[in-house]
Amino acid sequence: MFLKTEKVSKYFGGLKAVDQVDFNLKKGQLKSIIGPNGAGKTTLFNLIAGVYLPTHGKVFFKERDITRFPLHQVSHLGITKTYQITHIFPSLTVFENIRIAAQSRETSFNFWKTTYSLREVNQRALNILEQVELIEKRNWFAATLSHGERRYLEIGIALATQPEVLLLDEPTAGMSCAETNLCAELIQKLNQEIQLSVVLVEHDMSVVMGISEEILVLNEGRALAEGTPQQVSDNEEVQRVYLGEG
Amino acid sequence: MEGRETERKAELEKMLQDTEPKPKTTIVWGTGLVLLVLPFIISAPLATEILIWGIFGLGFNLLLGYTGVLSFGHAAYFGLGAYSCGLALRYWQASIWTGLLLGIVSSMILACFIGALAIRKRGVYFAMISLAFGQMLYFLALSPLKQITRGEDGLTHIPMLQILSISLNRPRPLYYFVMVITVLMLYLTWRILQSPFGKLLQAFRENEERAKACGFNTTRVKFLSLVLSALYGGLAGALNTIYLGYVPLSTLFWLTSGTMVMMTILGGKGTFLGPLIGAGVFLFLQNTISLLTPRWELFVGAIFVFIILLFPAGIMGTLRDKYTSYRMVKLKKQIESSGDSI
Repeated sequence: MFLKTEKVSKYFGGLKAVDQVDFNLKKGQLKSIIGPNGAGKTTLFNLIAGVYLPTHGKVFFKERDITRFPLHQVSHLGITKTYQITHIFPSLTVFENIRIAAQSRETSFNFWKTTYSLREVNQRALNILEQVELIEKRNWFAATLSHGERRYLEIGIALATQPEVLLLDEPTAGMSCAETNLCAELIQKLNQEIQLSVVLVEHDMSVVMGISEEILVLNEGRALAEGTPQQVSDNEEVQRVYLGEG
Repeated sequence: MEGRETERKAELEKMLQDTEPKPKTTIVWGTGLVLLVLPFIISAPLATEILIWGIFGLGFNLLLGYTGVLSFGHAAYFGLGAYSCGLALRYWQASIWTGLLLGIVSSMILACFIGALAIRKRGVYFAMISLAFGQMLYFLALSPLKQITRGEDGLTHIPMLQILSISLNRPRPLYYFVMVITVLMLYLTWRILQSPFGKLLQAFRENEERAKACGFNTTRVKFLSLVLSALYGGLAGALNTIYLGYVPLSTLFWLTSGTMVMMTILGGKGTFLGPLIGAGVFLFLQNTISLLTPRWELFVGAIFVFIILLFPAGIMGTLRDKYTSYRMVKLKKQIESSGDSI
């Protein structure tokens, strides 16, 4: 298995945010995690990404135990996350936002070389800006972008770290219908064209059902169901707790 | 296929020219030219003092302005640099270069020590820990190490220095000596800010969590920024010893750190020339007003408030913000006009 968790749990005091969850992701797969608010989706993300240390259980990536790896090391292994609330570098230009992420795979603690001389990194940053359709606004300050554009920029930042697994936490939150559709298209394109494995936490069911190969449903920190979109939407328990019985 | 690729590369290259133009050192050499004539405009001792605090500020700005870490104990690096240089000159009759080097190295070692203990702390916690270390050093120099540091009297009897048989006892040669070092430090700062590491500092300041998620070890970033900042502090302290000819105990006092914070904010934190401008304005006001009234602090404070009201992001910071707004309007118009033409 490409990425998996084994009975992973995270307790915050008495609260079991994630409780013995087994999560599996195949290489090149697009898998979604859904569940009501407080189900533990973001916590599971953070356990995989190295933001939190699990209370119990293990996380494996390409057969390697990465349970105790911090966020920056997990990122270097090829797992990159985006955040529920947009995390960008607001006072830097759009180009610089991407370039910073791209340079993380080259040289970062060099005091003397100028970033101008990082030709390949700079060109890669431009390529990514084209992918996320922000090339026209490359010289804008990130703070001046619209909400939807910021979400795109954040996906661009994640892509610039050359990930093998992309963890997207509610990427379409706050987007208009048109923007949501474009974003879903982009995610699918990344998954299919560059064989990027994607884990998606999303509340928009049309996006989840439309692009996911598999879905894991969480409820109160535990895995409730897992399967294809059809299997999940047919599951009575899922309908009861999440999709609504009516 | 090959032609297409070459075409694409040329297109990217063209885009890069306006996005990431070759950085120019004009600002460094331009400032150097202004500094060349400064002692003809204001007195050479005042100009020297501005440069020394300017160097201190350049380093402090790397930490506060570019990395976003507030240290309230920077007097420790300035004071330790001053004492190390002073002790070497007084007791060992060391050369000026050895004195400067000792000032720098001792401050950097102290920064490594403080950094190793406190760098994981954030915001006000780091500021408080750094203040505590600074004050510890002050009281060490005041009492337990009195035999060496001469306590409250400060370290006196520092021998006169010469470079290439030119005495640094006269104001102008001393000024130009400090000026050369200032320009070198400006160039070093410029290189750091243009480097991948410099950009990383700014990314860290903007969003530490995002920088971590990009794969950066942000603790190491903060640590290196602190040590680099101490390099400037130590050098400035050592130069202050050469300038004054003695080491006052107040170099280690928290007020030195406070003054530095004020100068940096006044000039504009996170701007290249901000600390130098801040030090210039602050010391010029202090020097001029203290000639007129013994209560100069009151007037300098009032003027400080007035300047901050007029320039909320500091002098250079506000000018930068105005330029940024102007640039954004221009960029938006550019995109609009290119949309119209389509």
